[in-house]
Amino acid sequence: MKDRFSTHTQLELSRRDMLKGVLGTAALAATAGIAPEAKAAASTTVRAYGVTTAQLTDWSLMTKSIGIKMAFTGSNNDVGVYMQAVMQSGLGNSEDIFIFEGGTQNILGPHGVYLPIDVHQKELTLWSRTPDEWKHSGVVMGSDGKQWGTPVIGNADSFGYVADKIGVNPNGQDDVSWGMLLDSDKTRGRAAFDQTWNYSLPSAALYLQASGKAKIANPADPTREEARAVVDFLVARKKAGQFRTLENSFEQQVQLLTNREVDIINCWEPAAREANKKLGPNAICYAYTVEGYYKWGHGAYVAAQAAKRGNLDNIYKVLNYFMDGEYRAYQARDRGYAGPNMDLGVAYAEAHNWSADQIAELKATQVKVDRKFKKPFVSTTTPSHADAIEDEWQRFLNA
Amino acid sequence: MLRSLLRRLNLADGRWALPCFLAVWSFLVIAPLVVLIVFSFFQTQFFMTVYKPSFYTWNDLFSSGRFEVTLRALRIALTVTVIDLAIGFPFALWLAKGKASRTVQAMTLALLTIPFFIDLSSRIIVWRPILDEHGLINSFLRATHLASSPQRWMLYTEWPVHFAMVISYFPMMVLPIYLAMNIIDDTLIAACQDLGGSPFRVLRDIILPLSLPGILGGIVFTLGSALGAWVEPTMLGGGFVDVLSNSITSAYSALRVPMVAALSTFVIVLLIALLCLLALAMRRFVRLGEVFRSMKP
Repeated sequence: MKDRFSTHTQLELSRRDMLKGVLGTAALAATAGIAPEAKAAASTTVRAYGVTTAQLTDWSLMTKSIGIKMAFTGSNNDVGVYMQAVMQSGLGNSEDIFIFEGGTQNILGPHGVYLPIDVHQKELTLWSRTPDEWKHSGVVMGSDGKQWGTPVIGNADSFGYVADKIGVNPNGQDDVSWGMLLDSDKTRGRAAFDQTWNYSLPSAALYLQASGKAKIANPADPTREEARAVVDFLVARKKAGQFRTLENSFEQQVQLLTNREVDIINCWEPAAREANKKLGPNAICYAYTVEGYYKWGHGAYVAAQAAKRGNLDNIYKVLNYFMDGEYRAYQARDRGYAGPNMDLGVAYAEAHNWSADQIAELKATQVKVDRKFKKPFVSTTTPSHADAIEDEWQRFLNA
Repeated sequence: MLRSLLRRLNLADGRWALPCFLAVWSFLVIAPLVVLIVFSFFQTQFFMTVYKPSFYTWNDLFSSGRFEVTLRALRIALTVTVIDLAIGFPFALWLAKGKASRTVQAMTLALLTIPFFIDLSSRIIVWRPILDEHGLINSFLRATHLASSPQRWMLYTEWPVHFAMVISYFPMMVLPIYLAMNIIDDTLIAACQDLGGSPFRVLRDIILPLSLPGILGGIVFTLGSALGAWVEPTMLGGGFVDVLSNSITSAYSALRVPMVAALSTFVIVLLIALLCLLALAMRRFVRLGEVFRSMKP
């Protein structure tokens, strides 16, 4: 098809529904004699819809700091479910901010669901001091070059390993190749790989690209042919007995590590942390890698309808807060997540008399993130050939 | 006045029941099915459904080998159904017509229904620490020198999936058969025995035909549930037992609604084919229309 949007897409259909809805609401407001904008402008509550990991354990901290209340609704982690909810339910009519893993802006931005970010907005005071690798990453910039979001949290994912089983330094500071997880006799039958197509296939693509085993332009967004090459490799490894299991949940990642069922696993960093609580410090190292990381981030995107609600200042105050020290320090302490301006987090902790251990940990997170973020690649939840990649991944599962 | 209206509508003779049922059923079940089939002829590009009819999605379903998940799901579901029937039928017979006392019967029935009150995931997940490499069974096998190395096939293969599904769906098979057997008049069995019928004859000519509605019910409930199973394959299959539900979830995560529709349509086609085959094969022994005649007053 020449133009993928030349026929009706679900977005166009849902937008028509939305227009109907908006007209209906406007009529209702007119008869009642109340303009909805006026009501919103007076409110100091900002409504957000997004992944629950972006939540502070206690939002009253934010209210104390910047005087804004947060009404947060948790969304599903699945990009399909999230986009369906945002597009078809017209959530922008009620929500001010959407928070989700990077990628959705490439679809929802150009289609008018998100409002472009005004980086000169007066409340966005921390913008200029926020590093480029956060504020201009693929999480918040669209493939059209526009600024669709602001950074919230992020991390560089790799894999957890038992150092003595794979013969590397037990302090966890060595750069270990992804080949150790995917392509090594040392770990054959003792490796676990994530079962989700969009989490696992890009990392394998990165390994093949870096080792020169396949030509891949962008591991985060492979073409159908590139995805096929990656899956051919993975099928061969699966048949060779490389993988003990394909895991599919946080709980299972922890169990596989604590039961010593596997020696290496591409998992989330909190899973390695959780396993170490049981096995002892550094029993599981979360890898620094040779090739790079599955760098992910949550972006905050403003709902297009919010432009007319009159509370943009408040919304931008919240976006700015996500890049500030308090939010950074609590997210790092309570969830182990990094984010932009980690130094402000350290400064906040010092100013608020956090314990020396907690401050040291924040500093360590900063060093770790700085080291990891130097390497590729930034993941996306919406690769251009998602349908082809998902199909190829099924071939791997079925092989 | 109401009475005269009712009389005029002639509701008492029950002729309205069938059209009413068909209307409701068409609206609730058939219409969504038609939508499903229509959707399978659209396609998804970059997370958008493109409403332009083509065979693209169907082509993808077969060229990627994805249709295999339906065959695998069906194979596992059929195996589990056959095993459950093989164990469940004698079990139900013992429970309904055996020498078990009323108390034992009541207790067994209560035990059979307990699983319905506990979440399936929590019941299945406990098998992991039992079956894994350093689990209960492997530790026992090694401690008793029955095995020198850990038996790794016990987890993350098709074996534990079958095993757990047989347990999960056992009550689905047993309860309908038990209910059908329980209402068989004991005097019929006694009469057969008095006329010199062997136990085999009693089973073949009395119990089997009269419990057929229960057997069919058991098969439908077990096969249906097993076909949509996702907890056992996900938790114990270790990603190596890719079944229908996993494939559908994965497709949906890329918003591939047409693929979900095509997969579901394909399963329905397979099921219809299977039922036709079953009806053909059983034509010699039973006429499906007469299976429920024993239920008539």
